[in-house]
Amino acid sequence: MRTNSLAFRLTVSAAATAVVLLAAAAIILTELFQQTVQRNFEARLRAIMDGLQSNIELTVDGSPAVQGNFADTRFQLQDSGWYWQVAPIVPGSKPAASASLLEPPLTLPANAVAHRDGEGIARFSMTDAAGNDLRGFEQRLKIFGSDADYSFVVTGNFDELRSEVQAFRRVLYLSLGLLGLGLLGAIFFQVRYGLLPMKLMERKLNDIRAGKVEMLEGDFPAEMQPVADELNLLVQSNFEVIDRARMQVGNLAHALKTPISVLTNEARDHKGALADKLTEQIGVMREQVNLYLDRARRAARAQTVGSSTDVEPVLQALARTLQTINRDRGLQVSVEPMPALKFRGERQDLEEMVGNLMDNACKWSKTKVVTRARLLAQLGEDGRPWMVIEVDDDGPGLPPEQRATAMKRGQRLDESKPGSGLGLNIVTETAAMYGGRAELAQATIGGLRAVLRLPAYPIASTSGT
Amino acid sequence: MRILVVEDDVDLNRQLVTSLTDAGYVVDKAMDGEEGHYLGESSPYDAVILDLGLPVLDGVSVLEKWRRAGRKMPVLILTARDRWSDKVAGFDAGADDYVTKPFHTEEVLARVRALVRRSAGQASSELTCGPVTLDTKGAKVMVDGTAIKLTSLEYRLLEYLMMHGGKVVSRTELVEHLYDQDFDRDSNTVEVFVGRLRKKLGVDVLHTIRGMGYCVQPPGNAD
Repeated sequence: MRTNSLAFRLTVSAAATAVVLLAAAAIILTELFQQTVQRNFEARLRAIMDGLQSNIELTVDGSPAVQGNFADTRFQLQDSGWYWQVAPIVPGSKPAASASLLEPPLTLPANAVAHRDGEGIARFSMTDAAGNDLRGFEQRLKIFGSDADYSFVVTGNFDELRSEVQAFRRVLYLSLGLLGLGLLGAIFFQVRYGLLPMKLMERKLNDIRAGKVEMLEGDFPAEMQPVADELNLLVQSNFEVIDRARMQVGNLAHALKTPISVLTNEARDHKGALADKLTEQIGVMREQVNLYLDRARRAARAQTVGSSTDVEPVLQALARTLQTINRDRGLQVSVEPMPALKFRGERQDLEEMVGNLMDNACKWSKTKVVTRARLLAQLGEDGRPWMVIEVDDDGPGLPPEQRATAMKRGQRLDESKPGSGLGLNIVTETAAMYGGRAELAQATIGGLRAVLRLPAYPIASTSGT
Repeated sequence: MRILVVEDDVDLNRQLVTSLTDAGYVVDKAMDGEEGHYLGESSPYDAVILDLGLPVLDGVSVLEKWRRAGRKMPVLILTARDRWSDKVAGFDAGADDYVTKPFHTEEVLARVRALVRRSAGQASSELTCGPVTLDTKGAKVMVDGTAIKLTSLEYRLLEYLMMHGGKVVSRTELVEHLYDQDFDRDSNTVEVFVGRLRKKLGVDVLHTIRGMGYCVQPPGNAD
């Protein structure tokens, strides 16, 4: 993940928030737990103190003694830190103490009883002989049947409480840590999932650039739809600008043809070095014009998507035109009856390909040129229908070994017939652009057969023929 | 032979007019589609050279209008666009031939000659009437194998009559096809030229049909 990315920003900010919140939760929860445990601890000490006060009485010798069992077993366990003791303020009689207290009396620290609350209870902390950290209460009361005050002391082991808190903290940190990891994972997934439409948009823009599609299509999230719409408008206007520029290049190139004609004719009418230079330069201009027209044509083809062309009208129009052009030779240029067929591409490209093939056939034929088209029974490798257009002539034909050469750029097998020699090469190139191909074969009527294999559209057959 | 040149480029127009005039044609010119359309509709032409990219009214529209109005003269279109769709559009509009720019004027001349010949129903570039032979390519006239020197107007007169060999051509038609627009039609120049031509040829092929006009026929065939 790059640092300068939306994903990074979202992930880092969410992660930082989660960490801060989790840390705060840890502190607050620990504090709350500690307070609760402490309250319980004090309540227990209070309960013991109450039990002690209600079970104490004076023996005959005036020393305090406890009747019955009011405290739990920790008060039996030696050095447990859980002690109770009842001792006379004025030393004299023997104090009573829990069994856990090995060496009574428990000596309280000097200032332990300095502060008492409203009930007369003093709270203190101390360390006993066994090293236990003790928290305790001390209260001074008279025992029934005596005038003297006695000091009632109850202590509890605070280390136990501390370890309880410690254990809680361990579990808490562990679970909060796991929660944090889970959150990080969720953030990561959310960012990925949330930014998925961006990836989609990027892919589609790529497709537009590659000429596979013309528009950003599909449903984008509400926040991105306006961007998609704007991008579509931008793409559209970009196409328009390119189209305009391309058209202007075409117009410029075409417009130059008239002055080139003028200069050609002027130069021919004059003699001398200037006229020769002019003729030479006109040749260069002519080549440049053709080069750029060729380029503009190619570029225009590269971005045509999803167009379709009815085949028969194109073939008929070309046959009509070529029949007119060759009427002095009495050529029959015909199109055989054919099913409704659609070419999967631009009309102009179909016209250029078939037009050049038919024109070439007309140049060589003696009496007739026959064109036919049919859908191939088998689907192509792309799983879509393909068709074949055949142009037959009854001219001399070509021996098989010369047929391949005839399709190459600038190749003219016979210089006696007019034409630039580029016609068949343009056919091969254009067909290849559509994934099709052009080949030469033997025509049944005697001459050459040009075979054009091109992508077709499936036809909704209505007649069933 | 009267030819109309409709081309908006001044220089190209001038070159075409010059070449055609040098070749012995009577040439009218128009610089835009509207003017061209008017001339083509109002005067009889033996052929028209029509540029497709014209201001005011484009060439294809001009051609379509002529054909709809029943004008049948042969039309040669000049076009910078060499795509098949452009050729198809031109021929469908009624063109008889096309030349792609850039071109040499010689090419246009050759096409015009062929068009004029074809529209007159002549297959060969050589016209024959008895002992007289006229070579439209070389603009030469031979009588019994001997070359005859003719002025350009005399040649045009003979060519037109031989092109329509056997048919009677009226004096008005001759004037329309042989002279510039500003020719004084009341003058009797045609008679004068016919007389000179008869003398130069020395054979009796050029006949006057009283009250109708002139025609060429091999000697002895005339009524």
